[in-house]
Amino acid sequence: MTFTDNSFQKKSKSLPRTIEQFSFWAFRLATYLILIAASIIFGKIIYEGGKTVFRSEFPFINVPFLTQAPQTLHVFEYKGEKMEMSDSEFRAWVTAQGIDGSTFKTTSYSYSGGGIMPAIIGTLLLIAGSMTIALVLGIFSAVYLSEYSQDTKFIRLIRLSIVNLAGVPSIVFGLFGFSLFVLIAPIITETPKNDALWVIPLFFGNYVLSFQGWGVSLLAGWFTLAFMVLPIIITASEEALRAVPKGFREGALALGATKWLTIRTAVLPYALPGILTSSVLGISRVAGETAPIMFTAAFAIRDQLPWQVQHWQDFFFQGVMALPYHIYVVSAKIPQNEYTSRMQYGTAFVFLVIVFIIALTSIILRNRARAKYRW
Amino acid sequence: MSDPSTKPNDNPFRSRRWHLFGVDSDRVIRTFFAGNALVAIIILVLITIFLFKEGWGFFPQNYQNLKLYRQTGVEFVDVLKRHEEDFSALNRFLNNIRTQEVQRHKDAGETLAEANERLKPFDLYLTAFEEGGYDITDLVNELKTTATELRSRYEIYLNQAQLRSNLEKAGRTKEAAAIELVPVDLVDEVKSIQDNLPRVISTLGALAAHVNQMQQTIPREADTAMTARLEKFRSLLIQYEASFPALQQTLRSWDPQKPVSAYHAVTSFIFGREWVTNSYIQDWYGILPLFTGSLLVALIALCFAVPFGVAAAVYVNQIAASAEAKLIKPYIEFISALPSVVVGFFGVAVFGEFVRYSSQAEWLSWVPFFPISERLNAFTAGCLLALMAIPTIFTLAEDALNNVPRSFKEASLALGANRLQTTIRIIIPSALSGIISAILLGFGRVIGETMVVLLCAGNRISIPDFTQGVGIVFQPVHTMTGIIAQEMGEVVREGLHYRALFLVGIVLFFISLLVNFLAQKIVRRYKLGSN
Repeated sequence: MTFTDNSFQKKSKSLPRTIEQFSFWAFRLATYLILIAASIIFGKIIYEGGKTVFRSEFPFINVPFLTQAPQTLHVFEYKGEKMEMSDSEFRAWVTAQGIDGSTFKTTSYSYSGGGIMPAIIGTLLLIAGSMTIALVLGIFSAVYLSEYSQDTKFIRLIRLSIVNLAGVPSIVFGLFGFSLFVLIAPIITETPKNDALWVIPLFFGNYVLSFQGWGVSLLAGWFTLAFMVLPIIITASEEALRAVPKGFREGALALGATKWLTIRTAVLPYALPGILTSSVLGISRVAGETAPIMFTAAFAIRDQLPWQVQHWQDFFFQGVMALPYHIYVVSAKIPQNEYTSRMQYGTAFVFLVIVFIIALTSIILRNRARAKYRW
Repeated sequence: MSDPSTKPNDNPFRSRRWHLFGVDSDRVIRTFFAGNALVAIIILVLITIFLFKEGWGFFPQNYQNLKLYRQTGVEFVDVLKRHEEDFSALNRFLNNIRTQEVQRHKDAGETLAEANERLKPFDLYLTAFEEGGYDITDLVNELKTTATELRSRYEIYLNQAQLRSNLEKAGRTKEAAAIELVPVDLVDEVKSIQDNLPRVISTLGALAAHVNQMQQTIPREADTAMTARLEKFRSLLIQYEASFPALQQTLRSWDPQKPVSAYHAVTSFIFGREWVTNSYIQDWYGILPLFTGSLLVALIALCFAVPFGVAAAVYVNQIAASAEAKLIKPYIEFISALPSVVVGFFGVAVFGEFVRYSSQAEWLSWVPFFPISERLNAFTAGCLLALMAIPTIFTLAEDALNNVPRSFKEASLALGANRLQTTIRIIIPSALSGIISAILLGFGRVIGETMVVLLCAGNRISIPDFTQGVGIVFQPVHTMTGIIAQEMGEVVREGLHYRALFLVGIVLFFISLLVNFLAQKIVRRYKLGSN
């Protein structure tokens, strides 16, 4: 028996080994195909959208695109030159040239001129409001689930609801938000509408509580989106709370602190970074959803900016433009050609950038929090 | 809370907690948190209540609608109209043959004028065929106008009567009296439609004779392809001719007073094969085309997402080096942040065109259903949805693989199995329950996804044609989620259409609950070490 007969030595060309290598390559190929497919989408939108958003000369960014409202784009030939103008520019130009605008022939593409500033602002407002609501409700629920609850039937029912809520399709949330917030939710007003479901007098001036709905409004969108992300926030927050070592709580309780004092001083501060970072994932979900806001908060076009309202209350009851809905509108309602595609890709690009900044923040914050809080 | 130093005589063991209505502060806070936790249940209950509140009224309204359909004689006309439409379809078939023939002659190098000259005898036949249908078309149009006019008059009458009784209830008698009611005697008026029966029967008889004669005088052509098509046409004609006696029987025995069963209002939704809205004859709300569309798209998506998602999970968990895994995992999770509307837009702008373009490629011409004509179809939507489902399936499946105890792997390797054998025979079977529930949740995600299918599935409302074999995947479809998103903005509140959309929402809601329930059940039932 020679030394080379060692049975532990790798046999490089046995059949099982070939099969193993072959299969591993198949798995690897499948994995990288996913990555490539996703990269193609990213790449295409970044490349095409970048052409809209960036400029080769100073200030390098297409400022009008980010600061104007969407307009109709007019394309026409004038003195042998091909001109493209958004509606407001076109009017000014027509007046300056002294041409009769009503007879002048142009090809028009709706939504393709101007910019997307109202949509950007609308999206940011929707995110901010809905996340505030969802975080408050979600963190409190999570505190209860992780700090107070025992394994009772009631708690199991709550957990079951949370899991099921997470699986409800977003369009169903849209329908729900429409039927509850848009049509029925109560407001305090002096002049109730005729079709209000109930009107309850408040015995305070002429004010009544009128169940007449909030209409297509920011408020309706906030609550719809907040309820949709709630399961994500609760699950993430509970995980973060559970990650705080038991010893912290026991130490505080041993020093005579009440349960609430313990939670406030020894648990929440340490869990908060974890809660916030995981919740950012919820934000990117909120930002990306179109279906729930289609009938609750989004307008296809609105020229005024959200703060241009008469009363401060009106701020909450106005519909807004939103980037995801705008993308839907420009990709479904107008044809694809060289003039419209700039708006389409540009909007998609800006939207992707916003969502990715949020998602990246969450990943970076998470890594930092992990490094900082080790116990 | 008082400062203890100012009251030195206080009992040091006295509870310093504040009280509210005699309840200790901790309990108050606890109840407050519990109330927040209740929100999840409340929302779920509210969703159920509000979906049902808006959707349930569909059934009584639909029942009413179906009753009117019969009592006003629209049904009578509709039966006849369907028959007439069959005739038009035959006519179109014949016209198609002509178009193909012209193309064939042109391909053979003839000019359009020459081709037309050659087809003259055929054109004579075509015209003769078409002319035979004029009578029935006129008759259908005439009856249609009478019946729909009768229905709308009756509906106005019902609405006014409703309004009047509402006003009377509210005590506004003067306004109520001002409303003019034009009573409609349905039983009497529908007779005027039914009185046309002899005329209808004779027109149908003439049409049957015409079809029979046309069937026997189909022109003979030298070209084999054309002959085959005409033979097909002949068999269609024979089929059509055979349907006459049954139709005449139906029309003769049709009775406007025959009661509509309430059961039918439910079955016409669940098993209805048509979703027709804003029709001037009769709207139909059958969920079957939408349901099959959703299912088809979801299955296509899973066909891609399951192998890729699970393979990637296995690769990252078992095969990849740790540095590689650390890069791949966040990237795939990152894909889940990709907004669905952006994916849908990509489908409209790039991927749909790509699918159509590649189906025209020379080397794929052997595939029977290539090249495809529609760039937006179930396949386009399915592929993109697969990409959206992959992160869900990947993350959950990877978790399941991760939860397999290390000792399983070590034992297997120690017994001499190589890594592939260990993975396939030990790790995957141990994690199978988790993987299956991951797939189920992926399915839930796909069937509930709205924007991608709305933008990319082609939005043709019809049950996919199963006779086409695998080619079915390249048909445009409409889906349950898509129809809600598309039509919700345009419907009259509390109308039948509005309620039908809510009912579709209810179906979706319960599908998602069912999927969730199954996924949890599987995980719990087959959890490692549970038995």
